[in-house]
Amino acid sequence: MASYKAPLRDMRFVLYELMGGDELSQLPGYEEFTRDLIDPVLEEAAKVCEQVLHPLNRSGDEEGCTLENGVVRTPKGFVEAYKTFREGGWTSIACDPAYGGQGLPKAVNTLVEEMICSANLSFGMYPGLTHGAYVSLHGFGSDSLKDAYLPKMVDGTWSGTMCLTEPHCGTDLGLLRTKAVPQGDGSYKITGTKIFISAGEHDLTENIVHLVLARLPDAPAGVKGISLFLVPKFLPDSAGNPGERNGVSCGAIEHKMGIKASATCVMNFDDATGWLIGSAHKGMQAMFAMMNTERLSVGIQGLGLAEASYQGSVAYARERLQGRSLSGVKHPDKPADPIIVHPDVRRMLLTQRAYVEGCRALGAWAAKSLDVKNHHPDARVRQDADDFVQLITPVIKALMTDLGFESTNLGMQVLGGHGFIREHGMEQYVRDCRISQIYEGTNGIQALDLVGRKMPAHAGRLLRSFFHPVQAYIEAHMEDAVMGEFVQPLAKAFVRLQQATGQIARTGMAKPDEAGAAASDYLRLFGLTALAYLWARMAQQSLDQVDGEDGAFYRAKIGTARFYMERLLPQTGALFSAIMAGGKSMMDFAEDAF
Amino acid sequence: MAGINKVAVIGAGVMGAGIAAHVANAGIPVVLLDIVPKDGANRDAIAEGAVARMLKADPAPFMSKAAARLVTTGNTEDHLDLLAECDWIVEAVIERLDIKQALYARIDAVRKKGSVVSSNTSTIPLENLVAGLPDSFAADFCITHFFNPPRYMRLLEVVGGAKTRADALEVVSDFADRSLGKSVVRCKDRPGFIANRLGVYWLQAAVVEAIDAGLAIEDADSIIGKPMGIPKTGIFGLIDLVGLDLMPHVIGSMSQSLPANDPFHAITRPAPVVERMIAEGFTGRKGKGGFYRVNREKNKAKEAIDLGSGEYRAQRRADVPAIKAAGRSLTKLFDHDSAHGRYAWAVMGRTLAYACALVGDAADQVESIDEAMRLGYNWKFGPFELIDQVGTDWFAAKLAASGWAVPEILKIAAGKTFYRVDNGTRQVLGQDGQYHDMVRPDGVIMLADIKLKSQPVLKNGSAALWDIGDGVACFEFTSKMNALDPDIMDLLGKSIRRVKKDFKALVIYNEGSNFSVGANLGLALFAANIAAWTEIEAMVANGQATYRALKYAPFPVVAAPSGMALGGGCEILLHADAIQAHAETYAGLVEVGVGLIPGWGGCKEMLARWQSLGKLPKGPMPAIGKVFEMISTAQVAKSAAEAQEALILRPGDGVTMNRYRLLADAKAKALSLVDGYQPPAEPSFVLPGATAKVALDMAVAGFQRMGKATPHDGVVSGALAGIVSGGDTDVTETLDEDALLDLERQAFMSLVRHPDTLARVEHMLMTGKPLRN
Repeated sequence: MASYKAPLRDMRFVLYELMGGDELSQLPGYEEFTRDLIDPVLEEAAKVCEQVLHPLNRSGDEEGCTLENGVVRTPKGFVEAYKTFREGGWTSIACDPAYGGQGLPKAVNTLVEEMICSANLSFGMYPGLTHGAYVSLHGFGSDSLKDAYLPKMVDGTWSGTMCLTEPHCGTDLGLLRTKAVPQGDGSYKITGTKIFISAGEHDLTENIVHLVLARLPDAPAGVKGISLFLVPKFLPDSAGNPGERNGVSCGAIEHKMGIKASATCVMNFDDATGWLIGSAHKGMQAMFAMMNTERLSVGIQGLGLAEASYQGSVAYARERLQGRSLSGVKHPDKPADPIIVHPDVRRMLLTQRAYVEGCRALGAWAAKSLDVKNHHPDARVRQDADDFVQLITPVIKALMTDLGFESTNLGMQVLGGHGFIREHGMEQYVRDCRISQIYEGTNGIQALDLVGRKMPAHAGRLLRSFFHPVQAYIEAHMEDAVMGEFVQPLAKAFVRLQQATGQIARTGMAKPDEAGAAASDYLRLFGLTALAYLWARMAQQSLDQVDGEDGAFYRAKIGTARFYMERLLPQTGALFSAIMAGGKSMMDFAEDAF
Repeated sequence: MAGINKVAVIGAGVMGAGIAAHVANAGIPVVLLDIVPKDGANRDAIAEGAVARMLKADPAPFMSKAAARLVTTGNTEDHLDLLAECDWIVEAVIERLDIKQALYARIDAVRKKGSVVSSNTSTIPLENLVAGLPDSFAADFCITHFFNPPRYMRLLEVVGGAKTRADALEVVSDFADRSLGKSVVRCKDRPGFIANRLGVYWLQAAVVEAIDAGLAIEDADSIIGKPMGIPKTGIFGLIDLVGLDLMPHVIGSMSQSLPANDPFHAITRPAPVVERMIAEGFTGRKGKGGFYRVNREKNKAKEAIDLGSGEYRAQRRADVPAIKAAGRSLTKLFDHDSAHGRYAWAVMGRTLAYACALVGDAADQVESIDEAMRLGYNWKFGPFELIDQVGTDWFAAKLAASGWAVPEILKIAAGKTFYRVDNGTRQVLGQDGQYHDMVRPDGVIMLADIKLKSQPVLKNGSAALWDIGDGVACFEFTSKMNALDPDIMDLLGKSIRRVKKDFKALVIYNEGSNFSVGANLGLALFAANIAAWTEIEAMVANGQATYRALKYAPFPVVAAPSGMALGGGCEILLHADAIQAHAETYAGLVEVGVGLIPGWGGCKEMLARWQSLGKLPKGPMPAIGKVFEMISTAQVAKSAAEAQEALILRPGDGVTMNRYRLLADAKAKALSLVDGYQPPAEPSFVLPGATAKVALDMAVAGFQRMGKATPHDGVVSGALAGIVSGGDTDVTETLDEDALLDLERQAFMSLVRHPDTLARVEHMLMTGKPLRN
């Protein structure tokens, strides 16, 4: 049986030691968020995730959701677990206090999100989608809509969805057809079919608030003619409680590879009553506000699953006795050595670990930047932070889900045949992780976002928020005798990244296909270099504490940093070669020869 | 043939005064007379007032303050005798025949024998002007029609009458060409000559067609604009500039004098909406507003006239799907099945057909008509070049299909183009149906011609080296906006080695509208954003080394700028042995505008110039102060004359008035330096170091206290002060060039890492305007 223990020690390291978490409480509005307040939050979150959510992970996967007469039932135990989760206040931690939220810093909330994803990703989808809808409504809704809906979404009695995709349009939302007809009283009638709607219908909450992209009758063609509407499952009555059933129903639920306990619905809107969020034809703007936070969250999903998988594979590698070490018997008292003695098993475990801890640090960097962006008194510091968040969002989404998938796959491999069967839960992580590379914009789309939008924006200004601190760090530590072993490989990767960036900027302008051909490799090169920077800093942070009372933790940190630099970072060489080779071999290939 | 050594202009209105100023720009003394005002004690007030006004005007009619001193002002009552010394007398008084003729009689009484008299009339036929005057006057008389403003508009239409002496025309044309820098187009004595006859037809056709089609003026201006290489002011924006009230005046005069069968009459129908605007004082930019206006009562809202209602409404962005659908194809635009496509054809089809009708009437050569429209109305392509773009046969067929007459010249051109290149020579179709070589006047060399005939000696994506004959090579920038980039530096380095081997001298010249606006900021900013400091430092060092190699090359180097030569584009001038500048050269070291300092030897060279040539008090400080002031305020010399004052041009450097003659002059200058050529001696610098820096820093701090310098100005000026004061030195030490180049490079590298500098560069790239942070 899989078990999960929240990695609180490492989370505290990242938050307090690496990211200087104490600084959070110095931001205006965050004064109360000192360590005394944050630590108990993390500990309580760990308890809920370990004791309430994780035990339902495998059973939820086995049972899945069911649809009967338009009613979706979540797996056994979900309703009770959601009640506990909601009553514990976990739906509201990251929300605006003005609507009953707890206003926790993003840097803290991100760690809680990771725990939920590790423990039970399918369960996490329900409150996760609510939060996405909350972000759009909070940012763009009218006061009356916000007053009517936000408090209930914040306290978790109502949940939310984002209804974007239609049968014929996914990535290209410009094609969407769902119609919204104004009724003259400020409301609209929405008609159309939406697919792949996570949490579209379920039995966890008394009402579901759908945010729906649709077209007004006079809308221009394409993405500039899309508006966002709020469409509740039950229209609130005069007291604000769920009243009359609205014209929205679940037509089917999808049968899918993973996250089976998350209901993925076909939603039919038939003259459903809704209200406009934000301005007419400006729906993409409100939708992207949600999409950007969701992309960071999806990156965290990859991280959470990789962490859970790593815990499973390490436990197994310690216990599983099989054969003997190549260099001689290590455990003569046992009938065989545990497989953890083998270099290749260690390769897999350390790869998982180095990716997990590196990604945790990267997620924390982005999260802290969001806090700085929202709260820092200096406009220039806020802009730098915002630049960084914009730049790193596609990297986090794609890199952390790709590495999450690789890591869960390695975790399964460590268990051999026992990983492939369901009993240990290792294959579920692989299956659950797979969607994270696809939804909220496929990882290919993320790569195009990075090279096509983020890189050229403001003549490259967004890049500055990453390249300048890294270059300054390299210059400051390059000659350092102790740090040299970490900083020199970082410097090598960084130069590759600089050169690849220059190359794409030069060729991509004239030949967009060249930028497109380089995009995915470039995003990976970018991400691995970012992790190298963070690993160098984590090693630096650990160096003078190796003899302290927590010395084992810091020694392991340094050891993982060393493994990352020596064994994983060299991938950047191959990526660099591939990028510099250009896209000709792909684009010259005759289309009908495929 | 006697030359023109002194000129008189009578009539100190906008045109007359502008012509006088431009004669002075050429270094020629000029008398400017106007009538005695009815009131006031100062009998010269009108001419004096005109000069005073021009000294304040922007864009400036004078190329330098010194030029204004060449203008002698006076009045036509007391000072007509001054005309006796003048070789050319230009009349630019009110367009009334009686007044002009009376004036001519008085001029004729005092002028010296053989002097030329010309009128700047735009509407009165020459034969009417000289009617009744003695033959001796008519023989010396012609029309010289300048365009407004005379300094900047390169077209001069010259019309001779039946009795005009050929050499009178010749002497004026030659003077206009070489001294005033004009492109002279000979016209026949027909109403409106060439440019206004066709130009006014075009404008009027565009107005009435837009009214008939009910178009938004923004849409009309975007159609009759960029797609055909017409300035983006389009139609309505241009009429706002010239004045709505001028149009009926010119149209009336032309319809009166043109024969009844002239196609001109087809478009002279009244436009009530425009008439009402004029009556109410909405005459354009000089009036209460024109087709466009900025409404000061509505928070400076931009507004445009609705042609249907005659009321102002909010200006909006042009929305013309036809332009996008047509791509770069004019035929597709003219054929586009939409109100916009039909409008494009209705206006341009008519206008181009009218251009054809003018062949043999207003001018005998199609290239004269093309040149007149290019230089008089700033069209990128003349009408016959546009017809070549759509094809003569396509055009004739479309005219026929529209039920319009197919002009004679189009029948002659059937199956042909108006222009062609034959064996590397540009040729033009004549009225005889034959192609004729287009021969440049003596003393004109165009790189464009050389490029048709030959292959570059060296070439890469941003520059090329050409053989321009007689052992002289020409280095040309070819990058976008002629921005300097690593490819240019690379080819310049290669070119220096090649010229040393195969040529006698090098000219640096191009035919872009600007010589160079400086380093490619986009590249530099991108490199800075990704912290590619080594790469940036290499770019600086490489530029320094290349410019240094240019300076000490074993052959003479002449730089020949025209238009803007800014930043790195100015620094290259400073490293040449000599400069042959077009009069309209705008040069300066403007790096501080983007938070940087000149890093390719610009500080060093300016310091060397002011140390050795500046007529300044003794000691190092005056030169340092001068250079510091120029660079720290990003001073731009707004003409070659101002560049002389700034010592960007040195004594011995040349100025060419006519853009077409620049390369030939530069080549001649280069050849004149070949015999006994010695590279310049390396300058040395004795600078005060810290004491000078303190003084400069204090001055900047003073400006900051007064609010004239921003915080980052202080940082940039501080870095500049560190260079021009000599860094860590004192007067007991002598610094060489390398020491100053090191200071430039270090200062550049420290500034380029500064976030406020990067914000300035980004702002300049995004908005085209400097950021005052």
